[in-house]
Amino acid sequence: MSIFGSSEKKVEEKTTFNFDIDKENINQSKLAKDIKINGSIEAKDYIDFAGYLSGTIKSSTIYLKSNSYVKGTITGDTITIEGEVDGDIHAKDLHIKSTAKIKGNIRYNNIDIQNGSIINAELFYSS
Amino acid sequence: MSSEEHDTFNKDQETVEEYAGNDSKTVNIGAGVRIEGRIDGAEVSDISGSLSGTIKSSNINLNSSGIFNGDMSGSDITISGNVEGDINSDQYLVVNQSANIKGTIEYSSLQVNYGAKIQGTIRHRGSVHSYSTDLDPIEKEDKIENVLNEQKEDI
Repeated sequence: MSIFGSSEKKVEEKTTFNFDIDKENINQSKLAKDIKINGSIEAKDYIDFAGYLSGTIKSSTIYLKSNSYVKGTITGDTITIEGEVDGDIHAKDLHIKSTAKIKGNIRYNNIDIQNGSIINAELFYSS
Repeated sequence: MSSEEHDTFNKDQETVEEYAGNDSKTVNIGAGVRIEGRIDGAEVSDISGSLSGTIKSSNINLNSSGIFNGDMSGSDITISGNVEGDINSDQYLVVNQSANIKGTIEYSSLQVNYGAKIQGTIRHRGSVHSYSTDLDPIEKEDKIENVLNEQKEDI
């Protein structure tokens, strides 16, 4: 009985946590997998992108999901890339995940790259 | 260069440990030791000092106090120090947080830890955009030497 009781408590905690995130970060944009955009996306806080974009994307936090494709310029403070990018990336904190494929120019302050990613790019470091 | 690193450079040359009877193809350049030239055929190279030139070794470890200038090629390479030049890895390349790299990197599998400084070109081996047909560093150096010799003869 005690085990069941504790697991029930955990679930409850998790739900509250998710709720808090949604409440605090109202400026969260999620662009789904089948979306195709020609043009520019600009947001203040957070963009979660899984679609196809030809153009520019700008936000403080950008998360490019594993099936996303961006051709153009990506500008942000914290950028996480799981998808494919052909173009320029400007980031303060750049996280390149194992599924990422990148071609172009990367300007960054801090970078980490996961094993498995395919990168053919010019890197420019600035402190 | 930090004062700490500077001190190690000014230290009196410590007696070089002799690896007598060692056939393990290991190169070990201690902190504060400076080498200029070419290393070829090594299996494990551990560099904490300063090396200018070319190195070809299956396993290369450039420690955080290590400084390398030139062309480096190997399979398993770990960089924690300073590099100015080319790095060519046909297997695993790990760039640690303390690393500072200026130059061209050609890799098969690359891991960069947060905080590392890299300035230059990164190419993935096997990609369409790869230039892996480049001469390996030793051949390249030979070619340059030949050209220089020819120029001398002309004079």
